[in-house]
Amino acid sequence: MKGIIFNLLEDAVVGEFGLAAWDDLLAVVGSDGVYTSLGNYPDSQVQDFVLAAAAKLGKSPAEILKWFGNAAMPLLFERYPQFFVGHTSTRAFILSVNNIIHPEVLKVYPGAIAPTFEFREAEDGGLLMGYRSPRRLCALAQGFTEGAARHFGQSVVFTHLQCMNKGDESCLCHIAFGS
Amino acid sequence: MTLRESNSADDYSFCVRYVRERKARLAAESIAEQGLRQLYQSKQLLELVGSIAIAANESSSIEETLRFAITRICVTTGWQVGHVYLVSSDLRLQAVPTSIWYGAEGVKLAEFRAQSETMNFAAGHGLPGRVLAAGLPALIPDVATDGNFPRAAAAVRCGLTSAFAFPVLAGTEVVAVLEFFVNDGAVPDDYFLGLMAQIGAQLGRVVERSRTQERLFHEAFHDPLTGLPNRAMLLDRLSRAMARHQRNPEARFAILFIDLDRFKVVNDSLGHHAGDELLLGAAARLSAVLRETDIIARCHDCKSGERGTLARLGGDEFVVLLEDLRDTVEAARVAIRLQRAIAAPIHIGTSQLSITASIGIASSDTSYESPGDALRDADAAMYRAKACGKAQYQVFDSSMHRQAMHRLDLESSLRCALEQKEFLLHYQPIVNCSTGAIQGFEALLRWSRPGFGIVAPGAFLDVAEETGLVFPLGLWALEEACATARHWHTQFPGHSRLVMSVNLSPNQFAQPQLVTDIRRVLDHSGLDPALLNLEITESATFGDFERANEILTQLRALGVELSIDDFGTGFSSLSYLHRFPLQHLKVDRSFISRMGTDSESLAIVRTIIRLARDLHLQVTAEGVETALQAERLQELGCDYAQGFLYSKPVTREDAESLLRFGRKSSQVPALTH
Repeated sequence: MKGIIFNLLEDAVVGEFGLAAWDDLLAVVGSDGVYTSLGNYPDSQVQDFVLAAAAKLGKSPAEILKWFGNAAMPLLFERYPQFFVGHTSTRAFILSVNNIIHPEVLKVYPGAIAPTFEFREAEDGGLLMGYRSPRRLCALAQGFTEGAARHFGQSVVFTHLQCMNKGDESCLCHIAFGS
Repeated sequence: MTLRESNSADDYSFCVRYVRERKARLAAESIAEQGLRQLYQSKQLLELVGSIAIAANESSSIEETLRFAITRICVTTGWQVGHVYLVSSDLRLQAVPTSIWYGAEGVKLAEFRAQSETMNFAAGHGLPGRVLAAGLPALIPDVATDGNFPRAAAAVRCGLTSAFAFPVLAGTEVVAVLEFFVNDGAVPDDYFLGLMAQIGAQLGRVVERSRTQERLFHEAFHDPLTGLPNRAMLLDRLSRAMARHQRNPEARFAILFIDLDRFKVVNDSLGHHAGDELLLGAAARLSAVLRETDIIARCHDCKSGERGTLARLGGDEFVVLLEDLRDTVEAARVAIRLQRAIAAPIHIGTSQLSITASIGIASSDTSYESPGDALRDADAAMYRAKACGKAQYQVFDSSMHRQAMHRLDLESSLRCALEQKEFLLHYQPIVNCSTGAIQGFEALLRWSRPGFGIVAPGAFLDVAEETGLVFPLGLWALEEACATARHWHTQFPGHSRLVMSVNLSPNQFAQPQLVTDIRRVLDHSGLDPALLNLEITESATFGDFERANEILTQLRALGVELSIDDFGTGFSSLSYLHRFPLQHLKVDRSFISRMGTDSESLAIVRTIIRLARDLHLQVTAEGVETALQAERLQELGCDYAQGFLYSKPVTREDAESLLRFGRKSSQVPALTH
């Protein structure tokens, strides 16, 4: 996993729960906390942080990921404003992930493993999003989507139609956009 | 980010430091990321340049390479539209649009494309014109506000906002212009434009290579002197014409084999440069006839216009291939027009030359297996035309094939004959008209051809001239005659002033080393030069009087005597007679033989003898056969005579008998005087 995820997590935790909370998490996970966006770190550490946080806050790992995705979006905007420029809606921003955001990430970090989302127009005007990754971070995707909606001042309803965490082969999510 | 409230001053100071160090880390990461992004982009662009260089090296098609290039450039850089212009220099330098485009998915290009493809851009005009004029990349950040972008309205309607273009350069010449458009206002930097210039240079190599290939191809199928198609291309076109005739017997063709008469004499006497000029002049005239013919035929009947190919096979041989002929008579008509065009006087340097052409025609009336066969038959017909007195045309018939085979046989036998020592000289006495005493001999070439007996030069001299064999043969005859004369000089002291006459052919006379050769032969034989008489015909001096005079003067300086042979049959320009350093005139046998029956011939002989006397030249009558002729010549004051009345040409042994006994060893006395 790219170091940026750990940086975002640290910022999100420190911002909401304070420096000590992050130190506590580091102690539970057994990490020295040295993360930089230029580095790569074991995927399992993300899992460890999520589980530790879930245990500490008494929430499910999916809830933790959703919270993190929501909290990370303003931080991403602060750090990479160029990805938000030119978009006026959550929908357009989400659709640019495959074609703009991830290719840009790969320019800077050629080794990064970025997921590919399959987007399809839903009959009700919403968006169907397919996702398949051994990391099974569909809840993070939901958090990012909701965070983006907040950034654009819109509302979304994110529904898991199929989920790898529930034994499905891949995830299929429905995103309904409000005004 | 914000931190939750802190409880103490220490905590506060710690938090401030935390925030500061976090910012420092973010700044460092940002710098590193920017560097990585630039590195990535450079790598992508270098790969782009590399892939286009590879494509350019491997390409055989300019269009395909340009299409590949604009596609790769657009895909790599994100520019949405690419378009190629080729530069035309036919009338004036301008960028001409091609149908080579790249359009990214979703770009609605139709209107812009349609407008672009109707516009040519002169140097300086519009985006392609700017690149064409400067030979450098050009950039338009906003097409809507640029003053020199005529397609702005259509571009804006198609959503295109920015443009750049760069030249494809072959050396320093702009051969194509590549233009690109995008809708997001991205402005390429100098590094990017520099790379595009490199791509332009790579693509230019394809054009350069293609031009080299075209040049090689052209050289392989064209004659370097005249630029006309050569034998290879003629054979190719001929085989196509034959195939067409096979499919459709109405599609007749004919080939006209054209050979310039006496070209070799001009080439040898006036030099190769003059020869080349003559060939260029002839090629231009022949081409002009074919162009006119083509136009005339089209005007009369658009459906069956004649089509002609003029090729040069080498030397003075040209071939015209006529296609879509109505009948062979058409070919003969063209032959006559070609001959007329060639016959008009032509100026080469200071000389005015009149040259003629012999033409042989072979047509699809004879069914041919191969183009080589058709060419061979036209060649044979051309030889027949030459044999019929030059400036003629002949249509091939099968008897010519036999003659051609005979000629080939003769040519190959002749080539061996000199090596096999099959040549010999016969000697015909020249007598003093007053005393009847032998004054000298004319050496005459004979060929003892196995299976044919003794062959006179008339049967082989033409072939010897055409093959160039006449030079070694002439030299051999000269050496042999001089050696014989030297031998007789010591053997027959009573005949101390015996003169040996040797003929020089026009081609020999035109040889640059003639004087040197003769001096060497004289030195080698030890013969008194005054005892050698060189006979040249009037035609040998044709073309360049000054040069002929110079050669004759040099020969005379060697001490040899000079005769004009066959006087009265050529163009007999009296003006040269008194200027050339001559000693003798030989009156042609035709006047002598008709002297008894034809008063005009008698008058001519009388006039020639009187003229010679006035010019202090001695006269020899050729072909004297009767006592009456001899008597008449003596009365007219002719100095010398030769002919059957005195003796046929005889072998060296018989000539020695004549000198020794006044008659040949094997015969009753032949000399009556």
